[in-house]
Amino acid sequence: MSEVAAQQTTEQDPVIDLSLADAIIDKYIDLPGNLMPVLQAAQDGYGYIPRIVADHIAERLNVYPSQIYGVLTFYAQFHLKPRGKFIIRVCVGTACHVQGAPRIVETFFDKLGIGHAETTPDLRFTFEKVACLGACGMAPLAMVNDSTYGGMTVQKVDEIITDYRQRPMK
Amino acid sequence: MVNLTIDDKQVTAPKSATIYEAATLNGVKIPILCHDKKLLPFGACRMCLVEVEQMKGRQIPACTTPVTEGMIIRTSTPDIVKARKMVLELLLLNHPLDCPVCDKSGDCDLQNLTYEYQVNSNRFTDAKFNHEIDYNNPLIERDMNRCVLCGKCARICDEIVSFGALTFIDRGIETKIGCEFEEGLNCEFCGSCISVCPVGSLLARPFKHKARFWALTKHKSVCGYCGTGCNLTLGVKDNKVLTTIYDENQGFHKGQLCVRGRFGYQFISSEKRLTTPLVRKNGRLVESTWDEALELVAGRLKGGSNVAALATPRLTNEELALFKKLLVENVGTKNFDHAAGYAHAALTEGFARSFGAAASSASILDIQKSDLLLVIKTDSYETHPVVGFEINMAVKNRGAKLSILSDKRGKLSKLPQAQTLLHRPGSEVAILNAIARVLIVDKLASATAVTIAGYAELVKALSGFTAETVATQVGISAADIKKLASDYAAAEKALIIFPAGQAYSGHNADLATAAANLALLTGKYDKEGCGVLCLSEKNNSQGAVDMGFIPQEGGLNALQILDACADGSVKTLFIAGENPLTSYPSLAKVKAAFEALEFLVVSELFLTETAAKADVVLPVCSFAEKDGTFTSTDRRVQYFKSAIRKSVHIKTDYEIFSNLVTRLGGAVPPTPALLFNEIAAKTPGYQGMSHVSLRKEGAFAPVATKPEFVAPQAAAPFTAETGKLALVTGSALYHNGTLSEHGEGPMHVCPENYVELSRADASLYKIAEGDLVTVASATGSMQLKARVTPRMPAGVVFSPYHFSEAPINTIWSGSPVTAVTVSK
Repeated sequence: MSEVAAQQTTEQDPVIDLSLADAIIDKYIDLPGNLMPVLQAAQDGYGYIPRIVADHIAERLNVYPSQIYGVLTFYAQFHLKPRGKFIIRVCVGTACHVQGAPRIVETFFDKLGIGHAETTPDLRFTFEKVACLGACGMAPLAMVNDSTYGGMTVQKVDEIITDYRQRPMK
Repeated sequence: MVNLTIDDKQVTAPKSATIYEAATLNGVKIPILCHDKKLLPFGACRMCLVEVEQMKGRQIPACTTPVTEGMIIRTSTPDIVKARKMVLELLLLNHPLDCPVCDKSGDCDLQNLTYEYQVNSNRFTDAKFNHEIDYNNPLIERDMNRCVLCGKCARICDEIVSFGALTFIDRGIETKIGCEFEEGLNCEFCGSCISVCPVGSLLARPFKHKARFWALTKHKSVCGYCGTGCNLTLGVKDNKVLTTIYDENQGFHKGQLCVRGRFGYQFISSEKRLTTPLVRKNGRLVESTWDEALELVAGRLKGGSNVAALATPRLTNEELALFKKLLVENVGTKNFDHAAGYAHAALTEGFARSFGAAASSASILDIQKSDLLLVIKTDSYETHPVVGFEINMAVKNRGAKLSILSDKRGKLSKLPQAQTLLHRPGSEVAILNAIARVLIVDKLASATAVTIAGYAELVKALSGFTAETVATQVGISAADIKKLASDYAAAEKALIIFPAGQAYSGHNADLATAAANLALLTGKYDKEGCGVLCLSEKNNSQGAVDMGFIPQEGGLNALQILDACADGSVKTLFIAGENPLTSYPSLAKVKAAFEALEFLVVSELFLTETAAKADVVLPVCSFAEKDGTFTSTDRRVQYFKSAIRKSVHIKTDYEIFSNLVTRLGGAVPPTPALLFNEIAAKTPGYQGMSHVSLRKEGAFAPVATKPEFVAPQAAAPFTAETGKLALVTGSALYHNGTLSEHGEGPMHVCPENYVELSRADASLYKIAEGDLVTVASATGSMQLKARVTPRMPAGVVFSPYHFSEAPINTIWSGSPVTAVTVSK
């Protein structure tokens, strides 16, 4: 874990409003097998699953907290730490790899000061290496949230970061 | 039954059996790591692969495949042996080969199979894991580096214990067993996970590096804590009990234990044990000889009726019978009792009238045969955890219905489909009466109920208990009461369970008769899976009742004895193992009684608060150092033999009583075995039993029932004045009586007294978890640590009674509910 990320985990979690979790639970409370939809909705609502939310879901759904944690760590779709506003994904699949994806990844690491699956302290960026985004013709490929950037170069990394640094957080 | 062939042998097996079970039944051993006979098949380890001819020689797991007619199975062809070797090679790839320092060595399934299959080299290489070892608690060490991911720990914690502390975390090669958010273990510490771990991943820390497994001698015994009557195997080395050993074939509970049974054994070899008799000289207790001490005691026992005695129901049947004989025949007193005089009332006054015998009409085995369990107080889990496991299994595996009447929620309330009716504290009898009335009025009672004696009187006595009236007083709705009544009547087999004990003064004769009335009205007694089961508190509570160590006609009961001590009519008190200063109600009253006494004799394992007040202290043996029988709460009489030699200067209670009988001019059978023959001859249900006949396994002492309806008196509902809370006392999961205070295991997990309160009250009085709060009642006040839990309803607080450092009897004088104030 890089130094930046280590600092970030020691920061206090922001105050979590459990009424959102309650609304989600109320919606699914009578559905058999409701754990997955509740966790997915909580992930969408909070951006990640805070500890207190997991405990609250465990208490209200009468599921062991350990079991919830088992589910959260099994599926890649769930996150246990706050995520950035902008999720940068760089493909490191075979096609992108041969087209120079490792250099793109290194450049993002250097410019953002974070590593794989880490988030900047200002919660603006989260960076992830992914195996394949399914658009090998555009290799090397990067995505920021839902926008796609094909034919990536080191210069384009700078442009993307500058662009998204100026975008509003709210 | 199904016919099949295993390794060219014609065998039969039950239709529901798996190949593994069929093979085991017929003496064919199939190697396996992920199987325990109490758990559902899982098929994780792939060691039990066998070939089935009908399946074209494919290798299939024996533990998950059901048998079919005509199956031809081969369990150890060269191909299978090769496959198993490969499985072992893959497991050993990541498993650290630290067997020389691993406590599991010698008892390790992986080690034994590696030896058996001669896996002396590995064709593969890979890095070992580097997981941090969990040392966060003093009882269970978790070393995930050794784990083979059989999942038994996580499954037993879910399927039987129903706590769910452990689970599979992460995915693929990174999968490991752990707790939520990678925390350390924080659970009930029953150690079930340790008992089933096939490798050294989960270890008992108190036993760590104490002895090699093969250096232990194994002694079968019976647990000395609660009335469940669990069987234990004690691991002994150099005359010290070092651990408890799991045996899945032992007892009705198949080796399953709770935290007290598994980790509470340390009191046996505690350094704080008394080692010589003590006699008070010039106001101080000084070491003495047995001769001097017993001569002094014998001299005082000549006082006849000014002598009284209290004995703990932890003594053996033989000891209690001999103590009674000493008191009645040689001393000439009728003043003796046990368990504060009221903890046995459900049996001696309740069931004795309702069923015609001072015993529960059901056994623990009935839980697995019942369709509906009506549990009074969720505390049944805390007082008798292994009975709690049986309830868990009945509900989760068999789909038995669970209805709970309780003044607080508890672990049982979390079971699937469990119905918890939260009522105001102290109103159990009124609710049971209301249910009885619904059964009668709504014609849900069985046709034969009218023929039982006392029916007309019961109908009359219940006239005031309409569901509507009771509902307004107890805080649950009339509809819920009616629903419970119709559920109970509709269930083919239904069992009522409630705990009894010194902290449950409300669970008295009235509660027992009220519960019995429901069983009698619906004909749900004397049948498999039906009846009423009173969970007695101590290991031999039922035995003490069977031996007649209860108030006699014209004699005093325990609380009256204390009053008589205070007013001077009892001058000499012999206390065998009880600790009234901690466990009896009203500390001030007990203190006053001891102050006024002329002479107090205490026979004890430890210098308890009570023993410290004595004129003579006699050091005695624990259950591991003596022979005898205990009778469990469901009247299973079990024989146990000493596991270790007693130290030179201590005696068994049996030896003390028999010495005193001789000094007073009487005669006693020289051994407990001979006395037991006398007991067996005259105790109903014990006929034909002897130490020899009980040696292999315990036997139930059957009870003949003579049903009768008794109209129970319902106490007036408790209403707290404004600003006051209702204090209910009880047992903490980790403790039993005051003995567990000397067990290191229970004390590690639950070291001090506390008061549990609801979140609503906590925010009302601005109290946070762990705050030191002042709890005050009309009789006193004390400081306790606060625990804020979601299980308590607003207005109700709970505190257990086991702790001599902060005894709850400072503020509790024996009523089921006490009004208290809680402030910071």
